[in-house]
Amino acid sequence: MDGVITTQVRVIGALVLRETRTAFGDTQLGYLWAIVNPALSTLVLVLIFSSLGRSPAFGTSFALFFATGILPFQTYSKLSNSLMTAINTSRGLLSYPLVNETDILLSKYILIVLTYLMIIILFFWLIIWGDEAPLPVRVEECASAFLVLTLLGLGAGTTNAVLFRLWPTWKQLESIISRPLFFLSAIFYVPDDFPTHVVKVLSWNPVLHGIEWFREGYYGNYHSSVLSKSYLITCVTILLVLGFFGERLYRKKSI
Amino acid sequence: MIKFQDVRKTYRLKGVTKTILKSVSTCFPEGKNIGILGHNGAGKSTFMRLIAGAELPDSGRIKRNVKVSWPLGFGGGFAGKMTGIENVRFVARMYGEDTERMIDFVEDFSELGPSMALPIQTYSSGMKARLAFGVSMAVNFECYLIDEITAVGDARFKRKCDDIFETKLKHANIIMISHSEATIKKLCDSACLLHEGELTMYDSVDEALAQHRKNQLK
Repeated sequence: MDGVITTQVRVIGALVLRETRTAFGDTQLGYLWAIVNPALSTLVLVLIFSSLGRSPAFGTSFALFFATGILPFQTYSKLSNSLMTAINTSRGLLSYPLVNETDILLSKYILIVLTYLMIIILFFWLIIWGDEAPLPVRVEECASAFLVLTLLGLGAGTTNAVLFRLWPTWKQLESIISRPLFFLSAIFYVPDDFPTHVVKVLSWNPVLHGIEWFREGYYGNYHSSVLSKSYLITCVTILLVLGFFGERLYRKKSI
Repeated sequence: MIKFQDVRKTYRLKGVTKTILKSVSTCFPEGKNIGILGHNGAGKSTFMRLIAGAELPDSGRIKRNVKVSWPLGFGGGFAGKMTGIENVRFVARMYGEDTERMIDFVEDFSELGPSMALPIQTYSSGMKARLAFGVSMAVNFECYLIDEITAVGDARFKRKCDDIFETKLKHANIIMISHSEATIKKLCDSACLLHEGELTMYDSVDEALAQHRKNQLK
Protein backbone atom coordinates (compact mmCIF):
# COMPACT_ATOMS: atom_id res chain seq x y z
CA MET A 1 0.00 0.00 0.00
CA ASP A 2 1.36 3.42 -0.84
CA GLY A 3 1.13 6.49 1.32
CA VAL A 4 -2.11 8.23 2.08
CA ILE A 5 -0.98 11.48 0.47
CA THR A 6 0.11 9.92 -2.83
CA THR A 7 -3.18 8.05 -3.01
CA GLN A 8 -5.17 11.23 -2.41
CA VAL A 9 -3.16 13.14 -5.00
CA ARG A 10 -3.75 10.34 -7.50
CA VAL A 11 -7.47 10.22 -6.72
CA ILE A 12 -7.89 13.98 -7.01
CA GLY A 13 -5.97 13.96 -10.30
CA ALA A 14 -8.23 11.23 -11.65
CA LEU A 15 -11.31 13.16 -10.52
CA VAL A 16 -10.16 16.38 -12.17
CA LEU A 17 -9.61 14.62 -15.48
CA ARG A 18 -12.93 12.83 -15.14
CA GLU A 19 -14.74 16.08 -14.51
CA THR A 20 -13.46 17.59 -17.76
CA ARG A 21 -15.13 14.72 -19.58
CA THR A 22 -18.41 14.67 -17.70
CA ALA A 23 -19.05 18.39 -17.94
CA PHE A 24 -18.78 18.76 -21.72
CA GLY A 25 -18.04 15.24 -22.88
CA ASP A 26 -20.84 15.06 -25.40
CA THR A 27 -20.04 18.23 -27.31
CA GLN A 28 -17.35 18.77 -29.87
CA LEU A 29 -14.31 20.66 -28.54
CA GLY A 30 -15.35 19.25 -25.16
CA TYR A 31 -13.95 21.11 -22.22
CA LEU A 32 -12.79 24.07 -24.31
CA TRP A 33 -16.37 25.32 -24.06
CA ALA A 34 -15.96 25.80 -20.34
CA ILE A 35 -13.28 28.36 -21.16
CA VAL A 36 -14.63 29.87 -24.36
CA ASN A 37 -18.21 30.30 -23.18
CA PRO A 38 -17.68 32.67 -20.20
CA ALA A 39 -14.92 34.55 -22.02
CA LEU A 40 -17.13 35.24 -25.01
CA SER A 41 -20.23 36.08 -23.00
CA THR A 42 -18.21 38.61 -21.01
CA LEU A 43 -16.97 40.03 -24.30
CA VAL A 44 -20.55 40.40 -25.52
CA LEU A 45 -21.50 42.25 -22.32
CA VAL A 46 -18.53 44.58 -22.77
CA LEU A 47 -19.47 45.27 -26.39
CA ILE A 48 -23.08 46.04 -25.44
CA PHE A 49 -22.08 48.40 -22.65
CA SER A 50 -19.40 50.14 -24.70
CA SER A 51 -21.76 50.64 -27.63
CA LEU A 52 -24.19 52.29 -25.21
CA GLY A 53 -21.42 54.78 -24.63
CA ARG A 54 -20.81 53.89 -21.02
CA SER A 55 -17.62 55.34 -19.73
CA PRO A 56 -15.61 53.42 -17.16
CA ALA A 57 -15.71 54.46 -13.52
CA PHE A 58 -11.94 54.37 -13.57
CA GLY A 59 -9.30 54.55 -16.30
CA THR A 60 -10.05 54.92 -19.98
CA SER A 61 -11.15 51.44 -21.00
CA PHE A 62 -14.56 50.18 -20.07
CA ALA A 63 -13.60 46.66 -21.12
CA LEU A 64 -10.64 46.62 -18.77
CA PHE A 65 -12.54 48.07 -15.82
CA PHE A 66 -15.43 45.69 -16.26
CA ALA A 67 -13.18 42.68 -16.77
CA THR A 68 -11.16 43.37 -13.62
CA GLY A 69 -14.46 43.23 -11.74
CA ILE A 70 -16.57 40.60 -13.42
CA LEU A 71 -13.98 37.87 -13.99
CA PRO A 72 -12.74 37.60 -10.38
CA PHE A 73 -16.37 37.82 -9.29
CA GLN A 74 -17.44 34.99 -11.58
CA THR A 75 -14.59 32.84 -10.31
CA TYR A 76 -15.84 33.31 -6.77
CA SER A 77 -19.51 32.78 -7.49
CA LYS A 78 -18.91 29.75 -9.71
CA LEU A 79 -16.93 28.13 -6.89
CA SER A 80 -19.37 28.93 -4.13
CA ASN A 81 -22.21 27.64 -6.28
CA SER A 82 -20.79 24.49 -7.83
CA LEU A 83 -19.16 23.24 -4.66
CA MET A 84 -22.48 23.43 -2.85
CA THR A 85 -23.98 20.66 -4.97
CA ALA A 86 -20.76 18.93 -6.05
CA ILE A 87 -21.08 16.08 -3.56
CA ASN A 88 -24.69 15.49 -4.42
CA THR A 89 -24.13 15.31 -8.15
CA SER A 90 -21.14 12.99 -7.72
CA ARG A 91 -22.73 10.78 -5.10
CA GLY A 92 -22.13 7.64 -7.13
CA LEU A 93 -18.40 8.19 -6.85
CA LEU A 94 -18.54 7.76 -3.10
CA SER A 95 -19.11 4.06 -3.65
CA TYR A 96 -15.40 3.90 -4.42
CA PRO A 97 -13.81 3.62 -1.00
CA LEU A 98 -10.84 5.68 -2.18
CA VAL A 99 -13.02 8.70 -2.85
CA ASN A 100 -14.25 10.84 -0.02
CA GLU A 101 -16.17 14.11 0.07
CA THR A 102 -13.07 16.26 0.44
CA ASP A 103 -11.59 14.77 -2.74
CA ILE A 104 -14.69 15.66 -4.70
CA LEU A 105 -14.66 19.23 -3.36
CA LEU A 106 -10.94 19.73 -3.96
CA SER A 107 -10.97 18.29 -7.46
CA LYS A 108 -13.85 20.53 -8.41
CA TYR A 109 -12.01 23.49 -6.87
CA ILE A 110 -8.85 22.75 -8.84
CA LEU A 111 -10.72 22.39 -12.10
CA ILE A 112 -12.75 25.58 -11.68
CA VAL A 113 -9.69 27.59 -10.64
CA LEU A 114 -7.69 26.35 -13.63
CA THR A 115 -10.61 27.02 -15.95
CA TYR A 116 -11.11 30.58 -14.73
CA LEU A 117 -7.39 31.21 -14.80
CA MET A 118 -7.47 30.33 -18.49
CA ILE A 119 -10.55 32.50 -19.03
CA ILE A 120 -8.87 35.46 -17.35
CA ILE A 121 -5.65 35.00 -19.32
CA LEU A 122 -7.59 34.59 -22.57
CA PHE A 123 -9.77 37.61 -21.93
CA PHE A 124 -7.00 39.97 -20.88
CA TRP A 125 -4.86 38.75 -23.75
CA LEU A 126 -7.76 39.64 -26.07
CA ILE A 127 -8.18 43.17 -24.78
CA ILE A 128 -4.44 43.81 -24.54
CA TRP A 129 -3.97 42.49 -28.04
CA GLY A 130 -6.90 44.66 -29.19
CA ASP A 131 -5.05 47.64 -27.72
CA GLU A 132 -7.83 48.29 -25.25
CA ALA A 133 -5.68 47.87 -22.18
CA PRO A 134 -2.08 47.97 -20.96
CA LEU A 135 -0.34 45.05 -19.33
CA PRO A 136 -1.05 44.62 -15.61
CA VAL A 137 1.29 46.74 -13.50
CA ARG A 138 1.76 44.30 -10.64
CA VAL A 139 0.92 40.82 -11.81
CA GLU A 140 1.86 39.28 -8.47
CA GLU A 141 -0.79 41.39 -6.71
CA CYS A 142 -3.41 40.30 -9.24
CA ALA A 143 -2.39 36.69 -8.74
CA SER A 144 -2.58 36.98 -4.95
CA ALA A 145 -5.99 38.64 -5.13
CA PHE A 146 -7.20 35.91 -7.49
CA LEU A 147 -5.85 33.15 -5.27
CA VAL A 148 -7.42 34.59 -2.12
CA LEU A 149 -10.74 35.03 -3.93
CA THR A 150 -10.65 31.39 -5.02
CA LEU A 151 -10.01 30.38 -1.43
CA LEU A 152 -12.97 32.53 -0.41
CA GLY A 153 -15.01 30.61 -2.98
CA LEU A 154 -13.70 27.31 -1.63
CA GLY A 155 -14.64 28.30 1.92
CA ALA A 156 -18.07 29.59 0.94
CA GLY A 157 -18.67 26.58 -1.31
CA THR A 158 -17.79 23.97 1.30
CA THR A 159 -19.79 25.81 3.95
CA ASN A 160 -22.70 25.88 1.50
CA ALA A 161 -22.24 22.17 0.88
CA VAL A 162 -22.50 21.42 4.60
CA LEU A 163 -25.58 23.63 5.02
CA PHE A 164 -27.14 22.11 1.92
CA ARG A 165 -26.64 18.62 3.26
CA LEU A 166 -28.17 19.45 6.62
CA TRP A 167 -30.95 21.48 5.12
CA PRO A 168 -31.70 21.12 1.39
CA THR A 169 -33.79 24.29 1.32
CA TRP A 170 -30.53 26.17 1.80
CA LYS A 171 -29.86 25.93 -1.94
CA GLN A 172 -32.88 28.13 -2.69
CA LEU A 173 -32.10 30.57 0.11
CA GLU A 174 -28.47 30.83 -0.92
CA SER A 175 -29.38 31.84 -4.43
CA ILE A 176 -31.63 34.60 -3.05
CA ILE A 177 -28.97 35.80 -0.63
CA SER A 178 -26.14 35.78 -3.14
CA ARG A 179 -27.96 37.41 -6.03
CA PRO A 180 -27.39 41.00 -4.79
CA LEU A 181 -23.66 40.22 -4.54
CA PHE A 182 -23.39 41.13 -8.21
CA PHE A 183 -24.37 44.68 -7.34
CA LEU A 184 -22.49 44.83 -4.05
CA SER A 185 -19.09 43.74 -5.33
CA ALA A 186 -17.84 46.87 -7.11
CA ILE A 187 -18.01 45.23 -10.51
CA PHE A 188 -19.06 48.33 -12.45
CA TYR A 189 -18.32 51.13 -10.02
CA VAL A 190 -15.61 52.42 -7.72
CA PRO A 191 -16.77 52.14 -4.10
CA ASP A 192 -14.82 55.25 -3.09
CA ASP A 193 -17.14 57.29 -5.31
CA PHE A 194 -19.99 56.64 -2.88
CA PRO A 195 -20.71 58.49 0.38
CA THR A 196 -19.02 57.01 3.45
CA HIS A 197 -22.14 55.45 4.94
CA VAL A 198 -22.69 53.47 1.74
CA VAL A 199 -19.04 52.44 1.64
CA LYS A 200 -19.35 51.26 5.20
CA VAL A 201 -22.14 48.87 4.26
CA LEU A 202 -20.37 47.69 1.11
CA SER A 203 -17.16 47.00 2.98
CA TRP A 204 -18.80 44.08 4.78
CA ASN A 205 -18.74 42.17 1.53
CA PRO A 206 -15.47 40.20 1.33
CA VAL A 207 -15.77 39.71 -2.44
CA LEU A 208 -15.54 43.46 -2.93
CA HIS A 209 -12.20 43.50 -1.12
CA GLY A 210 -10.90 40.82 -3.45
CA ILE A 211 -11.91 42.82 -6.51
CA GLU A 212 -10.44 46.02 -5.13
CA TRP A 213 -7.20 44.17 -4.49
CA PHE A 214 -7.19 42.80 -8.03
CA ARG A 215 -7.72 46.30 -9.43
CA GLU A 216 -4.96 47.83 -7.32
CA GLY A 217 -2.67 45.21 -8.78
CA TYR A 218 -3.77 45.68 -12.36
CA TYR A 219 -3.88 49.45 -12.55
CA GLY A 220 -1.02 50.46 -10.31
CA ASN A 221 -2.53 53.92 -9.83
CA TYR A 222 -5.84 52.65 -8.43
CA HIS A 223 -5.94 53.37 -4.71
CA SER A 224 -8.72 51.89 -2.68
CA SER A 225 -9.46 53.31 0.74
CA VAL A 226 -11.90 50.46 1.38
CA LEU A 227 -9.53 47.57 0.79
CA SER A 228 -8.60 45.60 3.88
CA LYS A 229 -6.64 42.49 3.03
CA SER A 230 -6.70 41.36 6.63
CA TYR A 231 -10.51 41.49 6.68
CA LEU A 232 -10.68 39.44 3.50
CA ILE A 233 -8.21 36.87 4.79
CA THR A 234 -10.09 36.62 8.09
CA CYS A 235 -13.29 35.86 6.18
CA VAL A 236 -11.48 33.25 4.09
CA THR A 237 -10.07 31.56 7.19
CA ILE A 238 -13.41 31.49 9.00
CA LEU A 239 -15.24 30.03 6.00
CA LEU A 240 -12.57 27.42 5.30
CA VAL A 241 -12.58 26.28 8.93
CA LEU A 242 -16.39 26.21 9.05
CA GLY A 243 -16.64 24.38 5.75
CA PHE A 244 -14.04 21.70 6.30
CA PHE A 245 -14.80 21.07 9.96
CA GLY A 246 -18.49 20.92 9.19
CA GLU A 247 -17.83 18.57 6.31
CA ARG A 248 -15.81 16.28 8.58
CA LEU A 249 -18.42 16.45 11.31
CA TYR A 250 -21.41 15.63 9.16
CA ARG A 251 -19.77 13.38 6.60
CA LYS A 252 -21.17 10.15 7.98
CA LYS A 253 -24.70 11.45 7.68
CA SER A 254 -24.53 11.05 3.94
CA ILE A 255 -27.19 8.81 2.55
CA MET B 1 -8.40 -9.29 8.20
CA ILE B 2 -11.29 -6.94 8.68
CA LYS B 3 -12.22 -6.06 12.22
CA PHE B 4 -15.36 -4.36 13.50
CA GLN B 5 -15.16 -2.80 16.96
CA ASP B 6 -18.43 -1.66 18.52
CA VAL B 7 -19.69 -0.46 15.19
CA ARG B 8 -23.03 1.28 15.26
CA LYS B 9 -24.86 2.47 12.20
CA THR B 10 -28.25 4.11 12.02
CA TYR B 11 -30.12 6.15 9.47
CA ARG B 12 -32.43 8.99 10.22
CA LEU B 13 -34.57 9.99 7.31
CA LYS B 14 -37.68 12.11 7.58
CA GLY B 15 -37.97 11.38 11.27
CA VAL B 16 -37.72 7.63 10.84
CA THR B 17 -34.74 6.03 12.52
CA LYS B 18 -33.49 2.78 11.10
CA THR B 19 -30.88 0.77 12.92
CA ILE B 20 -28.61 -1.21 10.65
CA LEU B 21 -26.04 -2.29 13.21
CA LYS B 22 -26.35 -1.92 16.95
CA SER B 23 -22.88 -2.17 18.38
CA VAL B 24 -21.38 -4.95 16.32
CA SER B 25 -17.96 -6.38 17.12
CA THR B 26 -16.74 -9.06 14.80
CA CYS B 27 -13.81 -10.16 12.76
CA PHE B 28 -13.61 -11.41 9.19
CA PRO B 29 -10.61 -13.70 9.22
CA GLU B 30 -8.15 -13.72 6.35
CA GLY B 31 -8.32 -16.62 3.94
CA LYS B 32 -12.05 -17.19 4.27
CA ASN B 33 -14.83 -16.53 1.84
CA ILE B 34 -17.83 -15.22 3.66
CA GLY B 35 -21.46 -14.95 2.68
CA ILE B 36 -23.75 -12.31 4.17
CA LEU B 37 -27.34 -13.36 4.74
CA GLY B 38 -30.33 -11.33 5.80
CA HIS B 39 -33.83 -10.21 4.92
CA ASN B 40 -34.54 -7.66 2.24
CA GLY B 41 -33.88 -4.29 3.80
CA ALA B 42 -31.92 -5.71 6.72
CA GLY B 43 -29.03 -3.46 5.68
CA LYS B 44 -26.75 -5.93 3.94
CA SER B 45 -25.67 -3.44 1.28
CA THR B 46 -25.01 -0.75 3.86
CA PHE B 47 -23.02 -3.27 5.85
CA MET B 48 -20.98 -3.95 2.76
CA ARG B 49 -20.37 -0.26 2.16
CA LEU B 50 -19.12 -0.05 5.74
CA ILE B 51 -16.71 -2.92 5.06
CA ALA B 52 -15.51 -1.16 1.92
CA GLY B 53 -15.07 2.14 3.72
CA ALA B 54 -17.45 3.88 1.36
CA GLU B 55 -19.55 4.83 4.33
CA LEU B 56 -18.65 5.73 7.90
CA PRO B 57 -20.20 4.27 11.04
CA ASP B 58 -21.97 6.42 13.64
CA SER B 59 -19.53 5.16 16.23
CA GLY B 60 -16.96 2.43 16.60
CA ARG B 61 -14.04 1.49 14.38
CA ILE B 62 -13.51 -0.66 11.35
CA LYS B 63 -9.96 -1.82 10.74
CA ARG B 64 -8.78 -3.49 7.56
CA ASN B 65 -5.31 -4.59 6.64
CA VAL B 66 -6.17 -5.94 3.22
CA LYS B 67 -6.86 -4.13 -0.04
CA VAL B 68 -10.65 -4.23 -0.24
CA SER B 69 -12.57 -3.61 -3.46
CA TRP B 70 -15.56 -1.33 -3.83
CA PRO B 71 -18.91 -3.13 -3.54
CA LEU B 72 -18.96 -4.80 -6.88
CA GLY B 73 -22.02 -5.40 -8.89
CA PHE B 74 -23.31 -1.99 -9.73
CA GLY B 75 -21.83 0.79 -11.81
CA GLY B 76 -22.80 3.53 -9.40
CA GLY B 77 -19.54 5.31 -9.99
CA PHE B 78 -19.77 5.33 -13.75
CA ALA B 79 -20.50 8.58 -15.54
CA GLY B 80 -23.14 8.20 -18.25
CA LYS B 81 -21.65 10.82 -20.52
CA MET B 82 -18.23 9.20 -20.50
CA THR B 83 -17.37 6.33 -22.79
CA GLY B 84 -16.56 2.87 -21.52
CA ILE B 85 -12.87 3.48 -22.13
CA GLU B 86 -12.92 6.77 -20.25
CA ASN B 87 -14.63 5.17 -17.28
CA VAL B 88 -12.04 2.42 -17.21
CA ARG B 89 -9.26 4.96 -17.46
CA PHE B 90 -10.68 6.85 -14.48
CA VAL B 91 -10.67 3.79 -12.25
CA ALA B 92 -7.19 2.84 -13.45
CA ARG B 93 -5.83 6.29 -12.64
CA MET B 94 -7.49 6.28 -9.27
CA TYR B 95 -6.03 2.95 -8.27
CA GLY B 96 -2.67 3.72 -9.84
CA GLU B 97 -2.96 0.88 -12.33
CA ASP B 98 -1.52 0.89 -15.83
CA THR B 99 -4.35 2.42 -17.86
CA GLU B 100 -3.60 0.71 -21.17
CA ARG B 101 -3.23 -2.72 -19.58
CA MET B 102 -6.52 -2.23 -17.80
CA ILE B 103 -8.35 -1.10 -20.94
CA ASP B 104 -7.03 -4.16 -22.79
CA PHE B 105 -8.13 -6.43 -20.00
CA VAL B 106 -11.64 -4.96 -19.76
CA GLU B 107 -12.06 -4.90 -23.53
CA ASP B 108 -11.12 -8.52 -23.72
CA PHE B 109 -13.14 -9.60 -20.74
CA SER B 110 -16.36 -7.67 -21.22
CA GLU B 111 -16.56 -8.36 -24.97
CA LEU B 112 -18.09 -4.95 -25.53
CA GLY B 113 -16.10 -4.44 -28.72
CA PRO B 114 -16.64 -1.06 -30.42
CA SER B 115 -19.19 -0.10 -27.74
CA MET B 116 -16.26 0.62 -25.46
CA ALA B 117 -15.85 3.90 -27.34
CA LEU B 118 -19.48 4.91 -26.78
CA PRO B 119 -20.95 6.81 -23.83
CA ILE B 120 -22.20 4.54 -21.06
CA GLN B 121 -25.69 6.05 -21.20
CA THR B 122 -26.19 4.19 -24.49
CA TYR B 123 -25.45 0.81 -22.85
CA SER B 124 -28.02 -1.75 -21.88
CA SER B 125 -28.02 -2.78 -18.23
CA GLY B 126 -26.35 -6.05 -19.16
CA MET B 127 -23.55 -4.24 -20.97
CA LYS B 128 -23.07 -1.92 -18.02
CA ALA B 129 -22.85 -4.84 -15.65
CA ARG B 130 -20.28 -6.54 -17.88
CA LEU B 131 -18.19 -3.41 -17.91
CA ALA B 132 -18.47 -2.99 -14.14
CA PHE B 133 -17.52 -6.58 -13.59
CA GLY B 134 -14.58 -6.35 -15.96
CA VAL B 135 -13.28 -3.19 -14.31
CA SER B 136 -13.32 -4.66 -10.84
CA MET B 137 -11.67 -7.86 -12.02
CA ALA B 138 -8.91 -5.81 -13.63
CA VAL B 139 -7.75 -4.42 -10.30
CA ASN B 140 -5.97 -6.86 -8.04
CA PHE B 141 -7.67 -6.73 -4.68
CA GLU B 142 -7.10 -8.99 -1.72
CA CYS B 143 -10.75 -9.00 -0.85
CA TYR B 144 -13.60 -8.61 -3.32
CA LEU B 145 -16.95 -7.38 -2.09
CA ILE B 146 -19.76 -8.73 -4.18
CA ASP B 147 -23.28 -7.42 -3.88
CA GLU B 148 -25.67 -9.78 -5.63
CA ILE B 149 -23.90 -10.20 -8.92
CA THR B 150 -25.26 -13.47 -10.15
CA ALA B 151 -27.39 -12.26 -12.99
CA VAL B 152 -24.80 -10.72 -15.30
CA GLY B 153 -25.05 -11.59 -18.93
CA ASP B 154 -25.85 -14.80 -20.74
CA ALA B 155 -24.75 -18.34 -19.93
CA ARG B 156 -21.46 -17.98 -21.78
CA PHE B 157 -20.53 -14.81 -19.94
CA LYS B 158 -21.51 -16.38 -16.64
CA ARG B 159 -19.10 -19.22 -17.31
CA LYS B 160 -16.40 -16.70 -18.04
CA CYS B 161 -17.14 -14.98 -14.73
CA ASP B 162 -16.96 -18.27 -12.88
CA ASP B 163 -13.61 -19.02 -14.49
CA ILE B 164 -12.03 -15.73 -13.56
CA PHE B 165 -13.48 -16.02 -10.10
CA GLU B 166 -11.80 -19.30 -9.64
CA THR B 167 -8.40 -17.89 -10.58
CA LYS B 168 -8.95 -14.81 -8.43
CA LEU B 169 -9.96 -16.90 -5.45
CA LYS B 170 -6.53 -18.53 -5.39
CA HIS B 171 -4.97 -15.27 -4.21
CA ALA B 172 -7.94 -13.34 -2.90
CA ASN B 173 -11.07 -13.74 -0.84
CA ILE B 174 -14.62 -12.65 -1.25
CA ILE B 175 -17.33 -11.34 0.97
CA MET B 176 -20.61 -11.67 -0.81
CA ILE B 177 -24.30 -10.91 -0.53
CA SER B 178 -26.56 -13.29 -2.34
CA HIS B 179 -30.09 -14.52 -2.10
CA SER B 180 -29.09 -17.66 -3.92
CA GLU B 181 -28.33 -20.44 -1.47
CA ALA B 182 -26.57 -22.37 -4.20
CA THR B 183 -24.11 -19.52 -4.92
CA ILE B 184 -23.34 -19.04 -1.24
CA LYS B 185 -22.81 -22.74 -0.74
CA LYS B 186 -20.57 -22.96 -3.77
CA LEU B 187 -18.31 -20.00 -3.09
CA CYS B 188 -18.32 -19.40 0.66
CA ASP B 189 -16.81 -21.38 3.50
CA SER B 190 -18.52 -19.48 6.26
CA ALA B 191 -21.38 -17.07 6.60
CA CYS B 192 -22.79 -14.33 8.78
CA LEU B 193 -26.37 -13.40 9.37
CA LEU B 194 -27.59 -9.86 9.72
CA HIS B 195 -30.86 -9.79 11.60
CA GLU B 196 -32.49 -6.87 13.42
CA GLY B 197 -29.23 -5.02 13.90
CA GLU B 198 -27.35 -8.03 15.23
CA LEU B 199 -24.64 -9.81 13.32
CA THR B 200 -23.94 -13.46 14.00
CA MET B 201 -20.99 -15.33 12.55
CA TYR B 202 -21.35 -19.00 11.65
CA ASP B 203 -18.46 -21.30 10.87
CA SER B 204 -20.68 -23.47 8.78
CA VAL B 205 -22.66 -22.11 5.89
CA ASP B 206 -25.40 -24.69 6.39
CA GLU B 207 -25.97 -23.64 9.96
CA ALA B 208 -26.28 -19.98 8.89
CA LEU B 209 -28.67 -20.86 6.08
CA ALA B 210 -30.80 -22.90 8.46
CA GLN B 211 -31.06 -19.99 10.88
CA HIS B 212 -31.78 -17.62 8.03
CA ARG B 213 -34.63 -19.81 6.86
CA LYS B 214 -36.00 -19.99 10.38
CA ASN B 215 -35.92 -16.16 10.65
CA GLN B 216 -37.84 -15.80 7.44
CA LEU B 217 -40.62 -18.03 8.65
CA LYS B 218 -41.27 -15.82 11.66
